[in-house]
Amino acid sequence: MSAPILEARSVTRRFGGLVANEDVSLALHAPAGQVVSVIGPNGAGKSTFFKMLSGYLKPSSGRVLLHGQDITGMPPHRIARLGLVRTFQETTIFPDLTALEHVSLAHQLHREATDIEVLLGAPRARGDEIRLGESAREILELMELSSSADTAARHLPQGLLRLLGIAMGLAARPQVLLLDEPYAGLNPEETQRAVAITRRIAASGVSVLLVEHDMKAVMAISDRIHVLHFGRKIAEGTPQEIRDDPKVIEAYLGQEDEELGL
Amino acid sequence: MLQVLVNGLVLGAVYALIALGLTMVFSIMRVVNFAHGQMYMLGGFVVYYLYGEFGLPFWVALPAAAVALAVVGVAFNRFFFQPVLASAAREENSMLMAVGTALLLENLALAFFGEKERGVPPIVDGSFIVGDVSENGAILTYPNALVALLSILFITALLAFVRFTRPGRALRAVAQDAEAARLQGVDVKATTTLGFAIGAALAGLAGGLLVTIYGINSGVGTNISTKAFIMIMVGGAGVTSGAIVGGALLGFAEAIGYEMLPGSVTYLLIFVAMIVFLVFRPNGLFGKPWG
Amino acid sequence: MRTLKTRDAAVAVAMLALLAVAPVAIGGSRYMLSVLMNCAGLSLVAAGVWITFTIGRINICQAGFALIGAYTTAILMARYGVSYWIALPASALVAAALGALIGSFILKLRGIYFSMLTICLTEAIRLAFLNGGDFTQGSRGITGLQQPFATDSALPMYYLAVALLAVGLVVTWRVHDSRVGRIFHAMRLNEALAESFGTDVWRYRVVAFGIACALGGLGGSYFAVFTQSVYPQSFTVEHSIYYMLYCFLGGLDYVSGAMVGAFALTILFELLSRFQQYQTLVYGVMMIAVILLLPNGVMAIRAAARPSRA
Repeated sequence: MSAPILEARSVTRRFGGLVANEDVSLALHAPAGQVVSVIGPNGAGKSTFFKMLSGYLKPSSGRVLLHGQDITGMPPHRIARLGLVRTFQETTIFPDLTALEHVSLAHQLHREATDIEVLLGAPRARGDEIRLGESAREILELMELSSSADTAARHLPQGLLRLLGIAMGLAARPQVLLLDEPYAGLNPEETQRAVAITRRIAASGVSVLLVEHDMKAVMAISDRIHVLHFGRKIAEGTPQEIRDDPKVIEAYLGQEDEELGL
Repeated sequence: MLQVLVNGLVLGAVYALIALGLTMVFSIMRVVNFAHGQMYMLGGFVVYYLYGEFGLPFWVALPAAAVALAVVGVAFNRFFFQPVLASAAREENSMLMAVGTALLLENLALAFFGEKERGVPPIVDGSFIVGDVSENGAILTYPNALVALLSILFITALLAFVRFTRPGRALRAVAQDAEAARLQGVDVKATTTLGFAIGAALAGLAGGLLVTIYGINSGVGTNISTKAFIMIMVGGAGVTSGAIVGGALLGFAEAIGYEMLPGSVTYLLIFVAMIVFLVFRPNGLFGKPWG
Repeated sequence: MRTLKTRDAAVAVAMLALLAVAPVAIGGSRYMLSVLMNCAGLSLVAAGVWITFTIGRINICQAGFALIGAYTTAILMARYGVSYWIALPASALVAAALGALIGSFILKLRGIYFSMLTICLTEAIRLAFLNGGDFTQGSRGITGLQQPFATDSALPMYYLAVALLAVGLVVTWRVHDSRVGRIFHAMRLNEALAESFGTDVWRYRVVAFGIACALGGLGGSYFAVFTQSVYPQSFTVEHSIYYMLYCFLGGLDYVSGAMVGAFALTILFELLSRFQQYQTLVYGVMMIAVILLLPNGVMAIRAAARPSRA
């Protein structure tokens, strides 16, 4: 039995007196290319958990392992280099760069030229730009963003910015992609498109771990679901199992009906 | 040893006064008043002219320095900082303006007061002598004692003002969250003006006090500002505890250093120590992250 | 964006061309030549500060690194008889190395804390040289430095200044217009996002700061032989502040901004000499006026009405 692709072991995070995550364990097993979702009511600690997986927060205790290697507390750029990349909940972008420039820039890990060669304008650096630019175009096509390639990010609507964020994540060529609420604020048609794109990403061999509130999308796309509530994991299973799980239903009782869509 | 303690106390008291003025402006406007040292310098000159040249009593000259600098503070806020903060092209523009005002004040002083060092006659004569001076005793001159006492008095008055009066509470509210304060009905604009006026006045008071011991010249601004920065960085910006602790620490460090080391090495060591400290505590002892 | 870059390049090229032919236009006036040489040197040093702006730090310690460069040159030449042509690059390297070392610790600070710290660092460097004993000759400074050209004419030193300025511009341009520069930009706008695709933010900050300090050291080295002396107070906090102001007032979005700011403000200052003892005062007043009226700097005048807001 080989090591899981991604594993969180009893991860806990405290902020002073507040316990955001307590003893959360999760494993993404082979084969690659599955879609795993982490859901839970507001304040369940999903975002904090994601930040710990991707290096933006250190767990108070517990371990995070990527392909069996301990990455607990490593800085985000190192974890990205090892193959785990996170996208962002807020639409964080570089306003004056075009979509293509964003994705091209995000290929940072896959340059062949050194920084010195870049500064000198050496041939290898120029070759990089061409090669990475082409890769960027391919990714934009996968994300159905080709028509926005030369538009500055500040002029793109929120839905496309979400896709751009995912495109940047892909540019880093991850083995595991953490999507932080990728469907938030999208209308049903946009959501459907985004779900289809997510499936395509997974099909290409990238394991996807996502945090989401949109229950319909989660049920549609997940191979496996983990449920957090008040910082602890309360359930894990296939979409069907989760739908029928009394603990999960109880956790969501008292939430606005429209949020559920179950 | 005792002398070092006494010196440290005197310096610490005045330095804390200086630091409080700077931290006041920072907490209200999120701008570092780079002209703080120059305002100190102007306060010294006001006292020099009123008390030293025109012979007015010290207890008239000193408040005059505070009032004069308060007026300068109000004017600077109204004509220079508010326009820049409103247009907010880049967030660094307010810092640029702060630097500009510092240069302006310094050049103004150089143009009108010249470069010469000035002094004033001591307010009182005599000293306390504690213990045997030749053996580990200490001298505390009356002027030094007066300066320290007045500094502590002003600091206490300020703390009481901020804690117990309505405008003082408004200052605290704006310092914590300007938007929330506005929603609670606080006149943020007037409060900001008040904050800047107080900050400037404190600088002027410190200058007016220290001119009686150290004299004044047009060029001390940068030096005082640098010391104020050290205190704020080590103590923590935007909090009164940070300013007071920072002031006390610098006062003692300076007293110890000048006692034990040749002249300028003291501040070299203070800088190095500060840089090392900031690597571990980037926000100072009590400060909150900013920027 | 394209128009900004074109305008930027055009200004840079035009300035260099003007400087190249200036000696012909101004006859033999040593005074005017030395003003231009001064401007060129200041532009070079300020270019380093400009680079630091691109990683989101307001650098007020460049005078310290100019001083390091100046002393490196002075000590190598006066004490060890090294040729200026070796001392010059050596000064840049020493400044870069020290900058990278110090930067690796202090660059994690941001905003006002970083700026205040750099002011203190400038002072600390001055004090270090003041207390350097025999090695730096303390307050006496190091004087009597020989200029590298055995001629009475000011022209060789003039063209050296222009050449060094050109080097500074090219370096700054390459840093800004390359993938490295775009990474700096990304880091400044959104550090977390840049990290997420593998950017080692700390390392890039140190690289940027090292290059910035190298330019400072290069400029300092030039000034050392230009004025043929160096003292602890040759480069002070006030100078640091002026370098920063040149960048601001020239324009932070333009590579040529540091140069435009340095030339504009320095020449303006010279033109005010008729005011004699009020010269600095009038200068200060004009500075404030410019800050109020041109918040994006001189270069942004008549720019397209598309604010390049971050």
